[in-house]
Amino acid sequence: MSDDPTNQPDERYDGRVDTDGVARQRPVYTESQVIMTTVKAVIPFVMTYGLFVTFHGADSPGGGFQGGAIIASVVLMIAFAFGIESTRAWLANSTIVGLGTAGVFLFGAIGFGPILLGENFLEYTAYYPVFGDLLGLKKYEFVKYGMEAVEIVGIAFIVSGILMGLFFALAAGDSRSEPSEADFREGDLRDGADSATLGGESDD
Amino acid sequence: MIDPGPLLTTDLIGLATTRHAYLLFVLLSTIGLYMLIANQNLVKKVIGVNMFQTGIFLFFITSAYRVGGSAPIIEGAGPYVSPLPQVIVLTAIVVGISLTAVGLALSIRLYNEYGTLRADALREVIGDE
Amino acid sequence: MSDVLLALLVTVPLVAAIFPLLFGLRYKNAGWPIALAGSLGVTGLAGTLAWEIFTAPTEAGQRLIHEMAGYPAPYGIELVGDGLSALIALLIGVVSVAVLAYSRTTGPGSNAFYSGLLLLMGGLLGMTLTGDLFNLFVFLEIVGLITYALVASDDSGMAAYGALKYLFLGTVGASLYLIGVGYLLVATGSLNMLDLQARLAELGYTDPLVQAAFGFILIGLMLKIAVFPLHTWQPDAYTYAPDTVSAYISALVSTTAAYALIRISFDVFTLDFFAANPLITDAVVLVASISIVVGSLLAAMQTEIKRVFAYSSVAQFGMIVVAIGLNSRTALFGAVIHLVGHGLMKATLFMGAGILSSAYGATTISDYAGLAKRSPITSGGLAVTGLALVGIPPSIGILGKWYIALGAVESGSWSVAIVIFISTLLTLTYVARIIETLYFNAPPEASHEEAAANESVDHVAAADSPVADGGHTNRVATERIVVVAVLAVSTVALFASVGLFDAMLDPVFGRFFQ
Repeated sequence: MSDDPTNQPDERYDGRVDTDGVARQRPVYTESQVIMTTVKAVIPFVMTYGLFVTFHGADSPGGGFQGGAIIASVVLMIAFAFGIESTRAWLANSTIVGLGTAGVFLFGAIGFGPILLGENFLEYTAYYPVFGDLLGLKKYEFVKYGMEAVEIVGIAFIVSGILMGLFFALAAGDSRSEPSEADFREGDLRDGADSATLGGESDD
Repeated sequence: MIDPGPLLTTDLIGLATTRHAYLLFVLLSTIGLYMLIANQNLVKKVIGVNMFQTGIFLFFITSAYRVGGSAPIIEGAGPYVSPLPQVIVLTAIVVGISLTAVGLALSIRLYNEYGTLRADALREVIGDE
Repeated sequence: MSDVLLALLVTVPLVAAIFPLLFGLRYKNAGWPIALAGSLGVTGLAGTLAWEIFTAPTEAGQRLIHEMAGYPAPYGIELVGDGLSALIALLIGVVSVAVLAYSRTTGPGSNAFYSGLLLLMGGLLGMTLTGDLFNLFVFLEIVGLITYALVASDDSGMAAYGALKYLFLGTVGASLYLIGVGYLLVATGSLNMLDLQARLAELGYTDPLVQAAFGFILIGLMLKIAVFPLHTWQPDAYTYAPDTVSAYISALVSTTAAYALIRISFDVFTLDFFAANPLITDAVVLVASISIVVGSLLAAMQTEIKRVFAYSSVAQFGMIVVAIGLNSRTALFGAVIHLVGHGLMKATLFMGAGILSSAYGATTISDYAGLAKRSPITSGGLAVTGLALVGIPPSIGILGKWYIALGAVESGSWSVAIVIFISTLLTLTYVARIIETLYFNAPPEASHEEAAANESVDHVAAADSPVADGGHTNRVATERIVVVAVLAVSTVALFASVGLFDAMLDPVFGRFFQ
């Protein structure tokens, strides 16, 4: 372990600039034919299995959490095989954030619906008068399909979105690990002064 | 002051052979807690927390089990194992994963900042600041 | 239909938390307005809930129940709103609005931060309003997780250290609580609070399983409340966190955990449990009394301002836990008033310290020398709130302490009353030291240019002259000072609110102490 990490020349820093203009430390990506070929072959099956686990949560071990994690692992495998930056370029940030937030929003919407229809929160049978004839379901079947809807459309989206997002956020490394100009200013304030005065300060 | 009677008349061997899951719960939780307290490496502390929580999950699942019971789905016949503790453990596992994720992310940040993963070294360095 | 308020109170902040992230993809500073709108909405809903309970004509109307998914208790999860939870929900709303108004121009302002703040608000409200023990655990962990992330949102490495320490201890606490809930589940098969009350009464309160369950729940929640000796995470977490976060979590997180302890002690394990187990009752009173004295002593010994306030919290929550152990209606009344009052006072103190820290870089008591001339309003607010914390009438601090001490005397525990008196003297020590340094100590020697440039708070220093006091004065946004002033005045004005507290809490305590 080094005694002073900031002084040690870091051979891992390859000087590339990220899509938002910040130069970050990255582990160097080495291409491996074995991993690439394996991943290319295996990914469709993993994705299918993830979807299977998500959809069959009611009758066998599985459900939203587990399925979402498996689906997120698909993107992680792609990142390991083909390099984190190229995966990040391919999978835009807005997709990941959108996935996670759409999950929360849909969960909230499915749960709120019964309140608008006069029943309690998450009471799926309240949908029966409205959608019963349209979908051809009996009243008690709404409970089963309501729970499945929440699991698949809500929880699986949230879990996969967050796992992917966190992976990329952590893999991007700490932008604080390089000593910044701010550290050398004298009398540095812990909370940071108001952004009203420090116009030249970058709000990070 | 402490009455030794009940302790001497408990069937300890019977306890160990029939209720071993509860003994395992105590063992796992204590080992996890000891790891959390005694080990100086931050990552091992996180592992200790995980082990502590795994012991607790074992306790819940054991309380759900019925000898000869089947999965709690109506198509199956006969006595069912209780589904409520299973759901509790599922939720608690997810909570545990999130805690592990946050703990490891903080450990990475501490390592980048101070260059060490040892809690005693960190205590000295930060105490001096 | 008004019980829908309960469901809305919990879900609105949780769903609103996605919007800062979503709009952050397009606009850069979308976080703050959404968070402010969310907290104003929550305050409105909480106020409506409190009003409905206050003006409810019937017994049933004073305790609103929302059964989630329509499943009746004890099969389903209930959200329960009575006078006590409505008060805490209102406190959460008001402190959220205040802290958000304060943090417009300061603190970590990223969209993820405001998302986290909204999630924390939702988690706290869930903890306050739930009627199910395991649901309480889930919300307890949500609150804990977001708090660890928010404490670490400062740029320094020390914030990560404080957050990690809090994480380890907080997780152990929540897991111990979970073991307690597991024991109760094994003993009775139910998780609903009122249902458990009936079943535990049948089971008998001297059953070792029930006693062990209470022990685990007590220790787990005491870790989250931070009473001595389980408080060691609190000074580091509160000191190293950004000032906005310190203000928010010191006012609300331990408060909600203390509320959970009150709710479980008196609704699940009733007074009869304490009567049947005098050893547990005495142990609670003893440990809490030690916490009161040690907290005040340690606070008086600190030099860094935020640490003083953090240790002072240890003492104040010791008083609240003591009131639980005393089993007296008056003491519990004082404890609830003190919960609300302490939340407001601590938020004000941390926010005031944050203003002085961003304006002058003042973090220790000696740094505060002579600052009263340069920021009169903030120092005034700090002084008034500090005196309220000590318990100088008229203030909400004296109300809480008075009723706790009265309850202690009524139940014959003179030692507790003496301990509270000692703690008040010690609190006076450090508050007086702060006020004296603010008002009566001369500011450190500054060079002439500095003295000329720093005539008023609005001037930004001309040059960063490397003088001994090392500081350049930065302009502080007016709303921060306004928030501190308003809250400080409110801690004094709430002295007149005893009648309101009494009206809200009377039906609840009637049930607890029948």
